[in-house]
Amino acid sequence: MMLLDFTVMEGVQVAWLAPAACILAFVLITLMRLFDSKLGALISIVGIASGFAIFLYVYSQFNNSGAEEFAREWFSIGSTEITIGIAIDQLSVVMLGVVTFVALLVQIYSVSYMEEESRFGWYFGVHSLFAASMLILVLANNLLLLYVAWELVGLCSYLLIGFWYEKRSAAEAAKKAFITTRIGDVGLLIGIILLYGTAGTFDTSTIIHIAQSGGFADSTLMAAVLLIFLGAMGKSAQFPLHVWLPDAMEGPTPVSALIHAATMVVAGIYLVARIFPLFEVADPSLTIVAVVGLSTAVIAASIALVMTDLKKILAYSTVSHLGFMMLALGSGAYVVAMFHLFTHAFAKALLFLSAGSVDHGTGGKRDIRELGGLRKKMPITFVTFSIGALALAGVPPLGGFFSKDEIMMAVMDGLHPVFFLIAIVAAFMSSVYMIRALILVFFGDLKPENQEAHESPALITAPLLILAGLSLVAGLFVAGWQDFFNVKHHDINFVVLALSLLASLGGLLLGWAIYSKEWISSRDVAAKFGDWEKHASNGYYLDLAYQWCIDRIVLVVARVVALFDRIVVNDTAVNGTGYSVFLSGFKLRYVETGKVYNYALAMVIGIVVVGLTIYWGLI
Amino acid sequence: MDNYLLISLILVPALAAIVVAFVPREKISEIRILSGIVAFALFVMSVYAFINYDKDVGGYQFTKDFAWLDALGIQLSMGIDGISTTMVLLTGIVSFTAVLISWNIEHRAKDFFVLFLLLVSGVYGVFVSLDLFFFFFFYELAVLPMYLLIGVWGSSSDFVTFIRNKEYAALKLMLYLVAGSILVWVALLAVYVEGDMNSFSLLKLQDAELSEDFQRLYFPMFMVGFGVLAGLWPFHTWSPDGHVSAPTSVSMLHAGVLMKLGAYGIIRIGVDLLPQGAEYWMPLLMILGTINVVYGAVSALSQTDLKYVIGYSSVSHMGYVFMGLATLNATGMGGAVLQMFSHGIMTALFFALVGVIYDRSHVRDIGILEGLSKRMGWTASFFAIAGLASLGLPGLSGFVAEVLVFIGTFKDYPIFGVLGIIGAAITAVYILRLLGKVFFGPISEDWKTLPDANNVEKFSAGILVLFLLVVGLYPKPWMDLINTGLSPLIERVAGL
Repeated sequence: MMLLDFTVMEGVQVAWLAPAACILAFVLITLMRLFDSKLGALISIVGIASGFAIFLYVYSQFNNSGAEEFAREWFSIGSTEITIGIAIDQLSVVMLGVVTFVALLVQIYSVSYMEEESRFGWYFGVHSLFAASMLILVLANNLLLLYVAWELVGLCSYLLIGFWYEKRSAAEAAKKAFITTRIGDVGLLIGIILLYGTAGTFDTSTIIHIAQSGGFADSTLMAAVLLIFLGAMGKSAQFPLHVWLPDAMEGPTPVSALIHAATMVVAGIYLVARIFPLFEVADPSLTIVAVVGLSTAVIAASIALVMTDLKKILAYSTVSHLGFMMLALGSGAYVVAMFHLFTHAFAKALLFLSAGSVDHGTGGKRDIRELGGLRKKMPITFVTFSIGALALAGVPPLGGFFSKDEIMMAVMDGLHPVFFLIAIVAAFMSSVYMIRALILVFFGDLKPENQEAHESPALITAPLLILAGLSLVAGLFVAGWQDFFNVKHHDINFVVLALSLLASLGGLLLGWAIYSKEWISSRDVAAKFGDWEKHASNGYYLDLAYQWCIDRIVLVVARVVALFDRIVVNDTAVNGTGYSVFLSGFKLRYVETGKVYNYALAMVIGIVVVGLTIYWGLI
Repeated sequence: MDNYLLISLILVPALAAIVVAFVPREKISEIRILSGIVAFALFVMSVYAFINYDKDVGGYQFTKDFAWLDALGIQLSMGIDGISTTMVLLTGIVSFTAVLISWNIEHRAKDFFVLFLLLVSGVYGVFVSLDLFFFFFFYELAVLPMYLLIGVWGSSSDFVTFIRNKEYAALKLMLYLVAGSILVWVALLAVYVEGDMNSFSLLKLQDAELSEDFQRLYFPMFMVGFGVLAGLWPFHTWSPDGHVSAPTSVSMLHAGVLMKLGAYGIIRIGVDLLPQGAEYWMPLLMILGTINVVYGAVSALSQTDLKYVIGYSSVSHMGYVFMGLATLNATGMGGAVLQMFSHGIMTALFFALVGVIYDRSHVRDIGILEGLSKRMGWTASFFAIAGLASLGLPGLSGFVAEVLVFIGTFKDYPIFGVLGIIGAAITAVYILRLLGKVFFGPISEDWKTLPDANNVEKFSAGILVLFLLVVGLYPKPWMDLINTGLSPLIERVAGL
């Protein structure tokens, strides 16, 4: 079998090697049992670095002329043939780049960060498996393979969040992440099978083609699209399925950077973008996407404002920005959503890794109230964190400015102005919470207990500097990005631009006034909003509500069913039958007297009964 | 040579049982080694059958007939098609690993292995018989030793309100299965008489022109009679109790292989001989199967005994088999047969590992066990793999089987498909809850000295894990095989 034709190596024929290299790394680490070995890290990094090299090659070969596919039979039964294959188009090339690049940096960073940990090699093994699954997810040419990778991504996230499984909280967070996303996956799988039911194939491009030519019944398509969106909501932590993401910060910080900021959570965004034409056909599903995205953006931003754990602030910020991406999708601009995904991936990975560096340098402190004044002790981390924060706040000319601005324009174009106004409020809050974190961690006076704080080693700061550089210049890609995706440039709407800029800078200014200069007391601000701060810092009690449902409804139902099984089905029906047979045997032995006239009497009664029955025509 | 393969599968364990019966009771290690060799030989022969079955030719292969009672048309007629070959492989794997797991049985080891080997002989007999009389004979041979195996070597569980002792469980299981057998036997005789060919041969009776009314009347007897053994709701209650009370290796064989005999019976006898009856009654099987899935999963959610969780999980997973069969299309039935294989391996692994834990801690209560992975890394990893297969994680066999069942179900029964997928999500909840409680979190003082699985146990669990992975990643050999077995069946159903 010729998998590779070396004379003309099209991108699509090479791209599959990227996940293959990572799988190989995972298999080597597992089979050689390098769970505690430094060699594991080396193998894993070589794997992902090859992945990145393959991306560069694929990118250089990519000629932007539509999708190329490459598929093989996996298995078949009856008339159902299941294939596995990959497809290369703009979306997958971009994601290939983002995933391999961020994963590579995170793994390099982890070598130093995780140095002291036991199961060091295992950590890298799971990272390899994660990268492989994520790459299969973005390269998959059919929805079933995408689902396969989607679930494997979920598994890796379970293993990495629960990496410190001896900690009860880590084990619980891992479980919560898996189960919450699994609820979404129920929808995803049903949606995919519904599409298959009509299309007779899982092949993504064929399904899109059928949908565009009206081959699906409206109701089927609508149901399928919304169910698939439910899966995207789970993975991309959209309200109200976002609850797992903040808890996922129980995992090691590089894991948070990789999975819960830059790559895994964007799988949902990618999925919606991948089957975007289906959403366009199934009107008004995009409006639903926009509403979900917008509410996520606002609600999460308002929670991020009051969090005190640095990683939780970043986590809610991620949720909020995923909301922005969904909003962009909902407004019909998937290219813009992907651009925000791109700039956000660098900025957020940068922020998390910087937070990890803070954590590393201060001996494990993450509460922003216990930090402060670190800019002198950790100058590099300070600079990189600032760049990340400003990029996320949307300050020009950093990456986040351009992508956010594009989103605002798309919203203005595609949706009701109310969406735009609320989005501006969310962007404003975004600025405030970022500047708040920046000031409370790096400015002010150094706390006496933090005198020992020190800058992290080069293996940690190098990836930070690279990501910071990218965040600085990511915005410059904006024009090339649109060319790459063959979409026309927006005319710049200066009102939108001005409002969006005002929101960013105004937020920064306000934050500066409150947290640095203390011109405005944060207590007074909080008091203005009544009990809101309390509600927000409890995540609007969503966790409590879910817990209540689990304890009071799910587990109660489970117990009732289990008792029903024991008492009704088993003890009454089964044992009851048993006893009644036993009892009737017990009683009936008095009937068996051995006296002939008793039997004769019984026979006569029997005959009379049968005779009468026949006579009355009952039989 | 090949023609004697199937008779060897039956006779080798049966003869070994007789030989063991004559070995003096004290020679435990000889008995173990002999049983081990026999189980390994059966494993090799099963793999041989699996590899050498010619998928391009299809049909029944390795056939061989021995005349027995010509006057009644009974002969020992053997042959395997794609479906039974898959089941033969399953039996080989599970019985080999189960013998390894029971290596350390001390209490009346000789009697244990005699009964165990007889049971294996019966199971193989069912899967290779093409004669209804012998099919039933072996079916009973497989079921009867179970009573003693549970009653003598089992363990009782003690709850606050429910006391389930092993004798109760064994008796209940026996009564249930015998009741099921009676239904099957009555229906078999009815087919024999109605077919009017003076033959118990399955292949001949396939051509008997059984009236539609007859088929509709007798199919439920097969469905319920065999369904009892396969754990069909509401006749499933023997199964959690039986599994819990049985010793490890018997639970493995029981949940792993014996429950599949029931499902196999529904396909081989029910659908094949009474296709019109099957078509008429399948919606009911779909309903009951879906109840199995959801009800079993929900019941598992609140169990506190490790073995009860696994026991109810079996009830739930067998539901997918019923659902798949009820679709009567190639995709769904293919998924059902693969699920029989996959669940057999997976549940055997579960019970083996629960046995490992119980052996060391003498506890099965989820509330008491905590943080075991610190001490029992291998056991925890294997258990996690079994759990992930159980919740349908892609890359492991359960996913392929379940997704095919779902695809098949959605064709005609979309609502049930949705319920089935929700059942898989509930499975994730109870499996992850169990993993989190038992293996993760801080390890408590009591368990800080627990030893991990020994090499024999690791080897045995490793074989099972290997099959879960291979089928999950490369199901093609299995699916092709199952496809050859199913296509004539589907044609018979569709040709009506």
